[in-house]
This record gives sequence, C-alpha cells and structure tokens, in this order.
Amino acid sequence: MSPEISSQSLWFLIIFVVIPLSVSYFYQLGLSRNVIVASLRGTVQLFAIGYILTYLFDLNAYIGIPLMVTVMLVVASFHARKKGKELPHVLPVIFGGLVLVEVSVLAMWLLFGMVEFIPSEVIPMSGMVIGNSMVAMGLALERMKSEFSENRGRLFAALSLGAEPKQASTLIVRRTLNAALIPNVDRIKTIGLVQLPGMMTGLILGGVEPIMAIKYQLVISLSIFSSVSLSAMFVTLIMYRHFFTENKQLLESEEAMLAYASNQEK
Amino acid sequence: MIEFRNVSHGPLRDISFTLQKQERAILFGPSGTGKSTLLFLFNRLKDPEEGEIFYNGKPLTDVPIIELRQKFGLLLQSPNLFPGTVLDNLKYGPSLTNSWRPGREKELLEYVQLSPEMKDRDVDHLSGGQQQRVSLARTLANEPEVLLLDEPTSALDDKTGEDIETVLKELIEQQGLTMVMVTHQMAQARRLGTNGLFMNEGTIEEHGKIPEMLEQPQSRALKEYLQG
Repeated sequence: MSPEISSQSLWFLIIFVVIPLSVSYFYQLGLSRNVIVASLRGTVQLFAIGYILTYLFDLNAYIGIPLMVTVMLVVASFHARKKGKELPHVLPVIFGGLVLVEVSVLAMWLLFGMVEFIPSEVIPMSGMVIGNSMVAMGLALERMKSEFSENRGRLFAALSLGAEPKQASTLIVRRTLNAALIPNVDRIKTIGLVQLPGMMTGLILGGVEPIMAIKYQLVISLSIFSSVSLSAMFVTLIMYRHFFTENKQLLESEEAMLAYASNQEK
Repeated sequence: MIEFRNVSHGPLRDISFTLQKQERAILFGPSGTGKSTLLFLFNRLKDPEEGEIFYNGKPLTDVPIIELRQKFGLLLQSPNLFPGTVLDNLKYGPSLTNSWRPGREKELLEYVQLSPEMKDRDVDHLSGGQQQRVSLARTLANEPEVLLLDEPTSALDDKTGEDIETVLKELIEQQGLTMVMVTHQMAQARRLGTNGLFMNEGTIEEHGKIPEMLEQPQSRALKEYLQG
C-alpha cells in the first residue's frame, strides 16, 4: 500500500458521500442536507486540525501539550454539559472530572514510560481519552436523569423508610454506572476480533509492525477503559446529590433543582 | 399529637387541623386539591412554604428527620418495591439503623396475611396484590406510630383492594396506629376512617366524623362531590 494518499484520490471520496445521499433521496429520509453539511464540516474540521497539529508538533512540548489539552478539555466539557445543562453546577463538575481523568492517565503513561512527553504522542492519545470520557459523562448524565424520573416512587419509598439520599440512590447510581460501563466492557471483549481498533489500523497503515501497533493499542484501549469508568463514576457520584435538598427531600423537576441551587448560593 | 398551623404549600392554602393519637383520618376531595402533597408534609418529604407543623408539641423540624420518617410509615398507590427478594424489601428500613432482627419476616408476613415461605421470592414474580402487601409489611417493619396511606388500593382490582383493606383495618385496630389515608372511595372511608377532612381548592372545606359528613354534608362543595 502506498504510504501517502494523493490529493487527487481524495476527490473520489465524494462517491462515499453520494451513496448515503442517494439512500436519503430515494427513501425520502430528509437527511440530504445533514449528510452534505456533516461531510463538509467533517472534512474542514479534519484539515484544520491537521494544520493545527502540524504547528503544535513543532512547538515546545511544554507549551504545545498544555495548550491543546486545555482546548480539548474545554470543548469536551461544553459538549458533555448539553446532556445535563438543566442540572446545577454541571459544567465545573464535568470539567473537573475530565481534568482528573486526563491528569491521572497522563501521569500513568509518563511514569511507566508508555508514552513520551512529546506533542505527537500525548495530543492524539489525550484526545482519545478525553473524547471517550466526554461521551461517557454525557451518557451517565442522561441515564441518571431518566432513572431519577422513572424511579420517583421508589425514591419516595426509600426516603420514607429512613434512607439517606445516598442510600436511596444506590439503585440509580448502580444502574447508571452499569449502563455507562457495559458498552465499554463489550468493546474490550471483542477488540481485535470484530474490528481492528482505529489507532492500531492507523499505525499499521503508517508502516508500523503489527506487534508494536498492538502495544500502542493496548495502552490506549485500557487507558480509555479506565478513564471512561472513572469519568462516569465521578459525574454520577457527584451529580446525584443535586437531586435532593439538604433536608433529604427529592427535587422533582429540573426547574426545582435549579431554583434550589440558586437559593443555596444566595 | 400532630398539629398543622396555617400551612401553605403548592396547591395547599392556610391549612390548620389537629390529629389525635389513634385517630383515623380520611383525606378526600376532588383531584388536584393537594391531598397527596399534604400527606408528604407529615414525614417531611416536603416542607411547608408557610406555616408550621407540630408533633407532640414540638415543631416537626426539631425531630431528627430519619427518626421522623421511620415513625411515619408511608404506603403509596404503587408498591414501589426494590429489586430483590421479599426479605430484602422487608429488611430495608430496619437495616438502615441496624435494627433488623433475623426471623422477623415471619411476623411481618403474617401481619399482611402472606405465607412465610414467600420471603425468598423475587418481588418481580408477585401479583399486584401480593406486592402491595409486601410494601405494607415493609412499612410496618419500621414499627411506625402513624400510617400515611396514599390511595393504597386504587391500583388494585376490587377483590384484591378489599383484601388489603381488611388487612389494614385489622392492623390499625390491633396495633393502635394513627392513620391518615387519602381515598376517593367513600365506602372505604366509612369502613376505615373515624374522622374526615374534605379538601377543596387547596383548603379544608369541611371536617368532622365520617358518617355525619357523608350523610349530612354541610358545604355545597361536599354535597356536589358526594353526588358526582
């Protein structure tokens, strides 16, 4: 395989866009505009990040890495916040959680010499960790909200029996974490059997020996596995408290939560 | 024993009444008048926006909240059992204060007329009536002084509802419990209650002895409610 894809060959990628476009057109799915916008946006974003990365990789690691990692953390925090923007203090909690995850994982990589502190290694790998943690936090928030609303009766029952909010929420926390972690466990179980993971594929295409590619893939896969678990747990264990008042009463709506939080701040 | 003094919360406006020990009060009235909200104020699942509630002469807020909730047992319309076995559910309340005595399930299941062999059954495999009985037994496990019942038989068919009602009546009489029950069924109110509080548009429109209220309603709203 040629190590480089020519710009001319890239033009033929349009065919890959035409296929979903035709499906949408023939079945009147109304997705044509979305398909075009998504493809164009994705292409522009990727090229832009390509140029930015080229620039960052040339910078001093102590400037380039913190700069890019901070941008990723901020963007990811705002994105994950959308899943729970009605909840009080959700943005600082998500940001704090992502920082914690990134710092812990990075410390592990550097401490045990799995990754070198150079932009070309730390930035893409941190991006994968932060991106997956962002998705896990968003999923956990969504799931927690729906569990709280579906289990109102059980929560009232538990509180009435004398449970503290933490005890009353045990079931919800367990179900939320389960939902956030199960896809991850499944992914690890089938890794390499169902699909060759992205990073490994990239390295092999770039000419790296498969065994070396697998080593990198193991580092990233297990790092993601642990960061997803940590971030889902962090956001769930901190946010469930906001569903209750200090008098151990259940706040029944998101509006009530916000009103209660703003009263507490006064 | 329990006194509501000028309490307002949500739809409730300026509610005042006193409930004596071993009284069996029925809260009734049109939907949306705040009956369930009123019930939740007893065990502080909600706090009044205005006014105060007293329990044995002390403001409700002076009683440690967990202790208060264990004294005021609440049974809702749906059983709201926790996943697991019947025994897991029965132990839930007492285990929170490490006061569960092994073997107590037998007595609790007897109270609600369920066989002791049911203790290991998964609650998902029980019928609606059995689940509501387990829910009642779970509430009784905390040895409450007051039972707060929010339409406990309305989600069940007539026969099962009557069975639960019989269990409740026997328990309340045997154990001398104080009871506050929300119900829309006037025959049930007559069978289980001593006093009635008729609620309309967030206020207590009329109160008194149940038979008198049902036979000689004074207010126009109560007359209309009973006719309709």
